[in-house]
Amino acid sequence: MIEHLFGGIGSVLSWVPLFAIVAGIVLGIMVGAMPGLSPSMGVALLVPFTYGMSPMLALILLVAIYIGASYGGSITAIMINAPGTPSAVVTAIDGYQLTKQGKPARALGISIVTSTVAGVIGTLILIFFSAPLAAVAVGFHPAEYFAVALFGLATISSLAGKNWLKAFVAAMLGLLINTVGTDPISGAERFTFNITPLSDGFLLIPALIGLFALSEVFSGIEKREFKPARASNIKDEWPRLIDHWKLRFVTLRSSIIGTVIGVFPGAGATIAAFISYDIAQRISKKPEAYGKGSEEGVAAAEGANSGSVGGAMVPLLTLGIPGSATTAVLIGAMMIHKLSPGPQLFISSPEIVYGIFGAMLVANVVLLIVGLAGSRLWIHVTSIPKEILFVLITMMATIGSFAVRNSMFDVLCCLGFGIIGWILKRYDYPLAPVILGIVLGSIAETNFRRAIMMDGLGVFLSRPVSAVLLVLAVLSFIIPLVGAHRRRKAAQGA
Amino acid sequence: MPERSRRALVTSLFGLFGLLLVLLAMPFTLSGQQADAPDDVSDAGNFPAQPVRIIVYTSPGGLIDFTARRFADIARKYSDQPFVVINRPGGGGIVAFEEALQRPADGYTMLAVTRSNISKMVATGRDGLIDQLDWHSYVMDNPHVLISNRDSGLTSWQALYREAVEKAGGQLWLGADIGGVKHVSGVKMARQAGIEMRWIPYGSGGEAVAALLGQLGSTYLGNPRDAMSSDDLQIIAVASDKRMAQFPDAPTFEELGVPGLKDENIWRGFAFRQGMPEARRAWFTDLMEKVTSDPDWIESWEGEGVNLQYKASDEFQKIVARDREEFSYYLKEIGLLRERGSRQSLLEGIGDAPARQFFTGTIIVLNLLLAVILAHSSFRQRTGELMVLSAVASLAVLFFVLSASLPPPSPIDTIGARGVPRLWIYLLLPLAIYQVFLVLRHREAAGDRERPYQLFRFIGIVTCYILLVPWLGYLLASAIYMPAALWFFDYRKPLRIAILTAGWLLFSWLVFQRVLYVDLPIGRLFG
Repeated sequence: MIEHLFGGIGSVLSWVPLFAIVAGIVLGIMVGAMPGLSPSMGVALLVPFTYGMSPMLALILLVAIYIGASYGGSITAIMINAPGTPSAVVTAIDGYQLTKQGKPARALGISIVTSTVAGVIGTLILIFFSAPLAAVAVGFHPAEYFAVALFGLATISSLAGKNWLKAFVAAMLGLLINTVGTDPISGAERFTFNITPLSDGFLLIPALIGLFALSEVFSGIEKREFKPARASNIKDEWPRLIDHWKLRFVTLRSSIIGTVIGVFPGAGATIAAFISYDIAQRISKKPEAYGKGSEEGVAAAEGANSGSVGGAMVPLLTLGIPGSATTAVLIGAMMIHKLSPGPQLFISSPEIVYGIFGAMLVANVVLLIVGLAGSRLWIHVTSIPKEILFVLITMMATIGSFAVRNSMFDVLCCLGFGIIGWILKRYDYPLAPVILGIVLGSIAETNFRRAIMMDGLGVFLSRPVSAVLLVLAVLSFIIPLVGAHRRRKAAQGA
Repeated sequence: MPERSRRALVTSLFGLFGLLLVLLAMPFTLSGQQADAPDDVSDAGNFPAQPVRIIVYTSPGGLIDFTARRFADIARKYSDQPFVVINRPGGGGIVAFEEALQRPADGYTMLAVTRSNISKMVATGRDGLIDQLDWHSYVMDNPHVLISNRDSGLTSWQALYREAVEKAGGQLWLGADIGGVKHVSGVKMARQAGIEMRWIPYGSGGEAVAALLGQLGSTYLGNPRDAMSSDDLQIIAVASDKRMAQFPDAPTFEELGVPGLKDENIWRGFAFRQGMPEARRAWFTDLMEKVTSDPDWIESWEGEGVNLQYKASDEFQKIVARDREEFSYYLKEIGLLRERGSRQSLLEGIGDAPARQFFTGTIIVLNLLLAVILAHSSFRQRTGELMVLSAVASLAVLFFVLSASLPPPSPIDTIGARGVPRLWIYLLLPLAIYQVFLVLRHREAAGDRERPYQLFRFIGIVTCYILLVPWLGYLLASAIYMPAALWFFDYRKPLRIAILTAGWLLFSWLVFQRVLYVDLPIGRLFG
């Protein structure tokens, strides 16, 4: 296996594959950073260009785009609070706070280094543990998926801060918004008011851009904050090696969480990022810093997000099943090149499989170099005078929401979400729970109902994994609330 | 360097960059304009004069997406212009269909279609869309197959049948697309065999196959290709009249003694909006014949478990009409197509448009009234906060009432379409009411805040911009909006404003229109 792996890395280390990796990473970062363009769209766009290439080179390029795009989403999340990809939402929570405090360099530096480390860890897990992980993943009952989703929802309690009631109202609002669209089990259209674009509910990207980026613009205008976030004459304080070393446990943990959750088809990077953030906050020595610009928070989110790439490749390579939207496109690309992903691939063309592994490892190194160099460049976004930035963000929101499926309806939705976000923020309702509800609602509902259809209500407790996960989820809802209550009581007593 | 001049440097660098892009793009722009100019519709000689879009109704990945991309690749050999695949997922094809119908019937927009679209249109009562399309060419189909996991011991149809009888309605059949063509096939298979099964819908075929590998269900109904991902999977029955060359060991239902399942398949093809000029239709017919007989096309489908067969429009239309009838019948049987007027309670009437609009309107008016009353009451300081809660609660009430018209829970789906939304509502309402109580109790003012008039004006400008885009086109509307908005923020540097605007327009046009084929609106006033 090891020699196969070195062979794989060796085959990547020549000019043409290296060039493909660099090009893929750069393109991927751009696609990821642009709200409205998802990693799966980026990969799909490039598929036609790979027709003339060898299967190996094509996959190297596409995998590099996937890796670049998974990181790219965090850049706009940190710089302007506009998550380029859904999973970067969690990065925005603390990353953008750091930017607001004039420390964008810290957030950018941590996000790129964590992404790289997580990418490598994810790939290593993919290489060495893919078979057992895949075996666990396929046996995962809907009841267990439901428990994981509930676990993700429990993050609300951590995100809530002192105002748990408002956080819960916000989350319920997100969950309710999530029910708009076609019911995944019965196929009935719910609350769509016969508006065709709503037949699949509100699209995630316009909702994200509105709730995060536009609402921030609106708040900024209300508070007349026209000063650039980063004074251009100060020296940026980039994180040093020692800073990254301090984050080693968070990085390691979040990478593993991201990879493992990424393995499960249909769970994905976003749920992984939320859960990782939640766990990091609970374990942290400084939980109160989360949400206010915690460097650990950025690492926890970004590690899970990038680790999930390796995870999503597990079912793709071992079973031929896509673990994410992007790997679904990769399967298509493999079909075009007459490769049949699945266990046979390891036997029929191991050089391809180990070539992909090698490419993923090398691509992460390239990502680090390109990302670090790039960070020096795009940090200047924060020096742009705010009035220009505000206008540019509204234009980016417009074209980004439009690009998702060529519909002005989505642009109006984005504006609507922007206004709703601004109002909620004005009255101290946290916005991350709304997104949490929108993202996790359908995973929770579909699996809840599917589990009951398959094995009745008792299944949640009769399956040990689901029972344990559910108990943990319920506890993780309650413990922070009880803790907060105690602290409040103590504060009142003092 | 002082901050001011540094900032000026950054801005002018951006500007220079923009200018450079403008110069670079000049040739592009000119060629683009020529291409976009409407050519003589009757003249097929120079058709196509611009790229042809193939709209796919799913996300990238999956067989129909693959079909479209493969087609685009090979069609390029026979056309001067590229074919570009665009994914427009949503509503099982409704979003894609409506987009195609909004474009002119000039042959520059193709739709990649499957049999599943027909069942979806019928299921959602939108079968009118079927008539608006020109079902141009049928390119392939593949039979539906039942796949089982060897490890579960169900290695034959007989074993599956025995288990179904034992479990008496508890056997789980996994599949994707709810109310789609596979679901209907599943119902037919069970009925023809005289067994009962429980259809468990998954979000995608991949997820369902994963569940089968994990032995969460007895069988999976899908495409032959799905059986190739793992050695543990095995096709146990094929719904066609003869065995597939690629899976010679898999028997047909007919051989297994289950009649009436010779034609359960999914087809794939291409359609256009009705009304394309005859010359262009003929051009496409010719192209389809060339592509479908191209050796590369045939080779690319080898081993994918599909039957390549080209059928021209006349035959295709008949197939579509037959499918439409069949789905109307079976979807009613499954209970996915509800007949109007079968209401059980008065509340369900809210689902009808007039009642729904009246109710929604009433709720909005009540909220506005409440806002006015609060603004003039002693709770003035807290009006905003209370209105947020009132709006949230109103939304919850509205959804609650609307949920009454959703299909009721069934013995299998005991939660039903309305269950979960109502659960959220039951949780949300008490929380919101408790928050109202807290707001009313803590009457100390939250600190006076100015009315954000500047923000309101800005939101007004943004709204105007968004509303103007469909009329003036993206580029013109943006060319007006950007300087106006910058001016609004007292940014008074005309040259920089001009450069910034030009830079953005160029960037968005180049990246989105030229590279990504996102069709920026050209504007109704000019289009």
